[in-house]
Order: sequence, then structure tokens, then C-alpha cells
Amino acid sequence: VTDRRLRVAVAAISSLGIAVAGYLTYVRFAGSAVVCPTGGCATVQNSEYADVFGIPVALLGLGAYLAVLATALSGSDAARALGAAVAGAGAAIAIYLVYLQAAVIGAFCTWCLANDAIVVVLAVAAALRLRPSPHPDRGDAPMAGGAGSERMPAWNDSSSPPA
Amino acid sequence: MGARLGHDGAVARTTPPPPKPRRSTGPKRREAERTARRGVPLWGWAALGAGVIAAVVIGASLLSARGGGGGGEVAGAEETAALLEGIPQSGPALGDPDAPLTLVEFADMQCPFCARWSDQSFARIVQDYVRPGRLRIVFSGMTFLGQDSLKALRAVEAAGRQDRLFHVFHLLMENQGRENSGWVTDELIRSTFESVPGLDVDRALADMDSAAVNDRLAETESAAAEAGINATPSFQLGETGGALDRLQLQSLEPDELSAIIDARLEG
Repeated sequence: VTDRRLRVAVAAISSLGIAVAGYLTYVRFAGSAVVCPTGGCATVQNSEYADVFGIPVALLGLGAYLAVLATALSGSDAARALGAAVAGAGAAIAIYLVYLQAAVIGAFCTWCLANDAIVVVLAVAAALRLRPSPHPDRGDAPMAGGAGSERMPAWNDSSSPPA
Repeated sequence: MGARLGHDGAVARTTPPPPKPRRSTGPKRREAERTARRGVPLWGWAALGAGVIAAVVIGASLLSARGGGGGGEVAGAEETAALLEGIPQSGPALGDPDAPLTLVEFADMQCPFCARWSDQSFARIVQDYVRPGRLRIVFSGMTFLGQDSLKALRAVEAAGRQDRLFHVFHLLMENQGRENSGWVTDELIRSTFESVPGLDVDRALADMDSAAVNDRLAETESAAAEAGINATPSFQLGETGGALDRLQLQSLEPDELSAIIDARLEG
């Protein structure tokens, strides 16, 4: 899989996450009820774990998705590492949040579980970007219109090893 | 392997020279070379960053939930404490017992309109009429919406045993969840109790299932039936100790109720 394809995948998954986290953030600030097919969303949303020092967890998730989406615009080493770091942290936090729902709060929020699943998939995609691309001439080209439209330090810059 | 013709025309088998050893230029090798130059591989930085971010967020979440930052309080705790500070409470009543008027509110703790009333009008009525001693409010709970209504009302009435009913009433309304979704968790009740100044939390938790609270629930249920209340929030207003009239409010904004109270006070 080329880095370009992985960047498209990361951007798509991040966008999906932004939609879910954005909805949860909206209902949190609007004070409206979460549309919850299985029940339990209000319990989780009203739990003491729904905020971190007053900042809604959904808002933190929204910020993380936006950050990972931004890293998908560039093929640089820094962008790949940052995207994988944020998405990896998101996956670890998602596992922690699922544990809280199961073992501490005693209720499951469908939207939160969907969000957790998205962030785990995102972490896998972002981690795959850390692998060296087998098609450097195709994989490291900047995305059209993206922030990385300048020439990027592709890994094949060192393709002429010393004799 | 190769073959060539010899001078005598015979075919002579020869062994081609071994291929010149070539250094691999594959992606893994290049990555390794870059790693060697940088010292730490890219995945190493990513793993380190992920670990640090996750540890900070999870640590902050645990600290926050255990009271490291929010004091274990539910939303609206400070505002509610400030609103009700210094106003006498006695069981289900808020305000001066000798206030000229009494307003009875019938509410289900899950009723969204009751929450709207609590959010939009309660504070103003308290500030304008209860705090100056011109009105007392009596709470009468109902539980027709379901199990979460009953659990929340038990918490409210348990706080009433310590003359803190309106603190818990207002806080649970402030943190009201979706109807019968299980939003009235033990955790929410404990946090709510912990947010009420001067409330003995363990005693309140124990009182929720007490005979005294059971008696109060029966009392409020019969009061609602006697008054013919079939919707919430509903209100009765009258002179303290006298007959109460059912109010037919068209709006949950405080203006209409304020006008009615003003008229009664002047009359």
C-alpha cells in the first residue's frame, strides 16, 4: 500500500471520526439528548469521566481527529510520526474508555463505541504509514492541493547509497 | 550458466563470472540507513509520542474523575450552592415559613419541561421572591415517567431529610439525561450529594430506601392525585396555610409567573 493511499485512508477515517466526535461535542454543549439506539448514552455522557478537568472528552477526540487529518496532508516523516502518535494515543484512550463503560460506569454509549472503533482503525492506518513504502516514486508524492505540495523529503532521497 | 563454441568447434561449458555483489537498495534497507543516521526509528518516535499523550490524558481523566480538579462535583454545583445559600429549607419547603405566599411545584425528575423551568425560571423566582421572604416553594415529586424518575426522587427526598432537597432537585434537573436511559446512576447520585454543602452523603444514600422516604413518596403521590395533577410541571399558588389555586401557565419563562405572584402580593 502506498503512502498516498494510506494518506487518503487516514483522511477518510479521520473525517468519519470528526463527524461522530463533532456530534457528541455538539449535544454536549447544546445540552440536548443523544440519539441513542441502545440506551446508556446519557449515563455515559453524564458520568464523571465524560470531562477531563471540564473539557468534554468528545471535544478532545474532535481535536485529535483534526490533528490526524492535518498530518494526512503531508508525507513528511514528522507528519507520519505525529499522525501515528496521536492516533495511537487515541486508540489507547479508546480502550481505556471502553473499560470504563464496561467496568466502572456500567453502561455503554453506542456513539462512544463507534468512535472507539473508528480511532482504532485510524491508528492501524496511521501506523502503516510508518512502514517504508515499496513504491517510493508513487507513494511519496504530495497530495494535490495539500499542505505538502512542496517537494517532500521522500525516503528515496537516500537512494544512491555510497558505493 | 552459459555455453560458447571453442576453436575446435566443440561446445565448451563455461561458468560465467559470479555477479558483482550489489548492495540492496530496498525500502527496508533505506529505512535502516536513515534510522542509523537519525538514531531513533520513526516508529520509535511515534510510539513514544503515543505513550506520552495517552498517559497524560488517562492520568488527567482519573485525576479529574477522582476530584483532582473538579472536586467530584456535578455540573452546576457552584451556581446551585450560591443560589440557595442562606435560604432556609425544611423538608420539601424552601424559604421563609412565614412568607405570605406558597407556591407548590409538581415535577417529575425526568420531565424535560421541568428541567427547562428549573433552568430558566427557578433561579429568578428564588432571587426575586423567595430570598426576600415573599414566597416559599414546596416541592411535590411525581414518578409517572419511569424508574429513573423514582430513583431520582428518592435522592431528592433523602436530601430533604437533611433540609437540602432543593440543592439536589436543582442539580439533578441541571444534569438530567434522556428519559429512562439509566442516567440516574449511583455515581451521579453520589456526585450530586457530594456537591451539596453540608450534606451527609452516606446518610443521604442510606435514607434513599428508608421508610421515611417511602412515606414521603406516598404522600406526594396522593397530593398530586388530590390536586388532579396530570402533567408536569404544574403549580399551585395561594396564601401560606390557606387554599391553593392551580395555575394554568402558558409559558415556562419567569415573566408570567412573576406577574401572577406580583398580583397576589399586591392583592
